[in-house]
Amino acid sequence: MNPRDPDAELLARVARADASAVRQFVARKLPRLLALAVRMLGDRMEAEDVAQETFVRIWKQAPHWREGEARVDTWLHRVAMNLCYDRLRVRREVPDDTLDETQPDDAGQGPITPEAALEARQQGARVRQALAALPPRQREALVLTYYQALSNAEAAGLMGLTVDALESLLVRARRSLRAQLSEAAAAKPAPQGRPRARGREAEPTPAARKR
Amino acid sequence: MTPMTPQRFAQIVDAYGADPRRWPEGERASACAFAAACPHEAQPRLDAAAALDACLAADTVEAPGRALQRRIVASAHVPTRGWATGARSTRWWLPGAALAGAGVAGLVAGAMAMSSVMMMSGEPTSTLHEPSSSYLSTGFGTSGEEGGVQ
Repeated sequence: MNPRDPDAELLARVARADASAVRQFVARKLPRLLALAVRMLGDRMEAEDVAQETFVRIWKQAPHWREGEARVDTWLHRVAMNLCYDRLRVRREVPDDTLDETQPDDAGQGPITPEAALEARQQGARVRQALAALPPRQREALVLTYYQALSNAEAAGLMGLTVDALESLLVRARRSLRAQLSEAAAAKPAPQGRPRARGREAEPTPAARKR
Repeated sequence: MTPMTPQRFAQIVDAYGADPRRWPEGERASACAFAAACPHEAQPRLDAAAALDACLAADTVEAPGRALQRRIVASAHVPTRGWATGARSTRWWLPGAALAGAGVAGLVAGAMAMSSVMMMSGEPTSTLHEPSSSYLSTGFGTSGEEGGVQ
């Protein structure tokens, strides 16, 4: 018994040129799609381009969507991932050195000390760099399962893999990340009691924009 | 419930992390049972995976800005006013006086003129479920362009 796709009705309204549905659809899907593209590409500007292009394709295809063929969310992910891979191919993807994503807000976390916020940003930057250093397929597997919270079957289907093959990618991805983050942690200067957030702590290396 | 093997437990944790909610649904219960029954074997692996999970969770992505949202909504080219589409555009209102004595050509011309009047004075689309947000009050797309979502 398949539960009804929660996005199907909204997409149908989009296809009928329902302006309210368009806004709702964007509000519902854009954050996740953008996050996916940011993590795959490591470049905010490119990720926004991919997100926008994804929706342009959705608008064009919405009238032809048939509920039951696949979940709308799966379809969105597939479109976005294809666009990401197009970018990666053009870029002749080279691991690392591509990050210019400034670490985002802590607004949702409540009161936080400047030192803790800085550490969180630095840690996030280290993770992002480690993600960028993964081979694209490992990165994709990890992003889809961990960050996008797709089931293993959904992620494997998206990637055209068996679940076993997906798990193999995930194991390697996590192993690589652990190694990279351990190295990064070992290289980090040890905190001295209460580290002060001055103008330049050990900031992440600004990325060279690749175009 | 199929008993969990140490090898499979290791594979699950190494692939999906320490949070059972991320484990394959069909194996979650048996994996949890294994962890409870064999803590000496399971816990070090779970601890290592949890440490990595905590690192991964540190990576957050800033929410999309309003400019991006506006651009994307605008790219749908959906008119804001009740632009009649499809069958609705054919429900032209023809006053009785316009029909009297009109030939076919006159009828068509008159109907088209009335249709234009109807569309220009159409009611705004429903806003029942719109969350309040300033970007929602902007026009969608540009007038005169082809409909992107029909």
